[in-house]
Amino acid sequence: MNKTRKIEITVELIRIIAAVAIAYAIALLTLVVFSDEPVYIIQQFILGPFSSMRRLGSVINLAIPFTFTGLCFCFMYAVNKFNLAGEGTFMVSGCLTALVAIKIGDTLPPAVMIPLLICVGALVGVILNAIPALLDIKFNANIVVVSLMLNSMLVFFAIWILKYKMRDPSIGSLGSYLLPENALLPSILGKMRIQAGLIVAVIAVILVAILFYKTIFGYKMRVVGNNPLFAKACGINMVGTIVAAQLIGGALAGIGGSCEILGNYDRYKWVASTQHGFDGLMVAVLARRNPALVPVAAFLLAYIRIGADVVNSKGDIPVEFITVIQGIVILLVAAEEFMGKFKKNMIYKAAEESLAEDKKEEVKEILEESDGKEK
Amino acid sequence: MFTIEWFANFGFSVLRLSTPLIFAGLAAVISKKAGMMNMALEGMMLAAALGGVVFAGMTGNVWVGLAGAIVLSVLVSLIIAFANLTGQTDLYLTCIAVNLATSGGTVFVMYLLTGEKSTTSAAIKAYTLPSVVIPLIKDIPLIGKIVSGHNILTYVSFISIFLVWLFLYRTRLGLRLRAVGENPKAASSVGISVTKIGYISFFMSGILCGFGGAFMSMGWVSFFMKNMVNGRGYIGLSASNIANGNPIGSAIASVFFGFCDATATTLKSQGSFPSEFLEMIPYASTIIALVVISCLRMMKLKKIQEGKESAAK
Repeated sequence: MNKTRKIEITVELIRIIAAVAIAYAIALLTLVVFSDEPVYIIQQFILGPFSSMRRLGSVINLAIPFTFTGLCFCFMYAVNKFNLAGEGTFMVSGCLTALVAIKIGDTLPPAVMIPLLICVGALVGVILNAIPALLDIKFNANIVVVSLMLNSMLVFFAIWILKYKMRDPSIGSLGSYLLPENALLPSILGKMRIQAGLIVAVIAVILVAILFYKTIFGYKMRVVGNNPLFAKACGINMVGTIVAAQLIGGALAGIGGSCEILGNYDRYKWVASTQHGFDGLMVAVLARRNPALVPVAAFLLAYIRIGADVVNSKGDIPVEFITVIQGIVILLVAAEEFMGKFKKNMIYKAAEESLAEDKKEEVKEILEESDGKEK
Repeated sequence: MFTIEWFANFGFSVLRLSTPLIFAGLAAVISKKAGMMNMALEGMMLAAALGGVVFAGMTGNVWVGLAGAIVLSVLVSLIIAFANLTGQTDLYLTCIAVNLATSGGTVFVMYLLTGEKSTTSAAIKAYTLPSVVIPLIKDIPLIGKIVSGHNILTYVSFISIFLVWLFLYRTRLGLRLRAVGENPKAASSVGISVTKIGYISFFMSGILCGFGGAFMSMGWVSFFMKNMVNGRGYIGLSASNIANGNPIGSAIASVFFGFCDATATTLKSQGSFPSEFLEMIPYASTIIALVVISCLRMMKLKKIQEGKESAAK
């Protein structure tokens, strides 16, 4: 039993590495085929993100929102509900955080202001994710469709807030008033200029990992997701657990939106969906629903993204090709059959070996017994 | 403002905006009847829309463009079928991944071909499929103006409602497809290959989405635009959900969503209300319709149960 589990984990790890490697190889191949100077471009793609402290900083900076949305989707995944409202939540909570910050202005000290704004983001996340969660559980309305439609609506909602509630008419492009100084997250770690949201993200990862694996709620959640019938038979409160998990996930996506706006921007100016939600889904898939692995997956995605950005700015390849690569990674990791035969063979072999060992021992025992009798 | 002219125009645009939704709805119906929830309609239509423009532009022939659109859409649907049926991926996740990949991939291909990132309108010569004027009917006041003069794909969409119904309820393959959808184990126990039926259902919804995508880029407008399908695949999916997989009901729901879309467009041109809220109307109506229909269904179920209980007494 223990051996099987060990093999499963090993194969899982190999599978994910293989999936990422295949996708990365496809990305490199794309670059070679479509670029005029492939060697330079590939060098930029692989080494570009590490070429300066500033760039390494921006990889980590980008990994922060991915971590938040990745954690969000770990919750959705754990209870097996594809609530995709995290996408719209990220944008709207950023928007409303900016609105509240501008309305409050310079009256509060940063120590009060920043936690307050992060709470606003979390609250927005809870409220928005409650809509598809409740419609699904109460009315059995398809959660994927509802949450995607909600996302489309939220984009327009955020644009409306920006246009009519906080637009700064003095700048040419569409943008809000300047965010007050005391609301901005300071940057840390000197040269790398990483936003202080990193601290929030680290705390969030630790808390979520504890919640998942060390609390009763986390166990309930995983049981509900893995085996709903068993959960029902055990008398676990299904409705409560499913809704609560989605609300916590929503809160995390909301906090992510707030930190992104307060850490990286001086004005709110998103006019299209940020795609952080779907990136979060990919992070959760890569991390195999394990919140402790989310930062690793987020860093990996951010590394590929920044690499693509560098290529985009230096060469002739548009950054969009990375979404294709992302799709391939999700498909390969999700494919149970991908290397499934390998896994089965390994488990079969291990089982055979242990059977053979058992037999040997049995034979030995019998021999010893008969020896004893003879004497 | 409410003249006959206005009503005629409004009715015309309802039918026009319903066309892609009807195609998407029918594609979803076929998948649903085969027991699958195809959320990748969006990506399939997007691929088809780009394919249509590119092939038409390359050959100078709209019909080749239409064929190219269908081929691309089928290709995407077969990728999903392969991943899901042969590779055993989770269908939801596969569809989300495919939608992601097509939304970026179409932009990537467009950039490689034209050097533009938002639309092909400047780089590729515009082709549209011909419009059809129906003789006799066009002379009827009001109705003639609403029904006649549409793009040929609009008529194809209405014909395919009937064809899909015919296929599902009057052919052997349709019967098998529904059997697989109702109970795959029972179906396979009598010798129907579940995998084969799955591939066929994806193939057919690929063809329908190809028409839908081609309409977007060669009928509705005459160029490809980044992310131009804009949730229509999902709206079509909800239409089939609302009708519980009935092709005719799904088409009626699609026309209703087309009506909402047309209302939003008309109100936008009046310009007295913030356009952001008007843009939300089609999406909001989808959510509301889903909730209302499932409410009604739950009430009906309750009534049946109560009736059973009282009958038992």
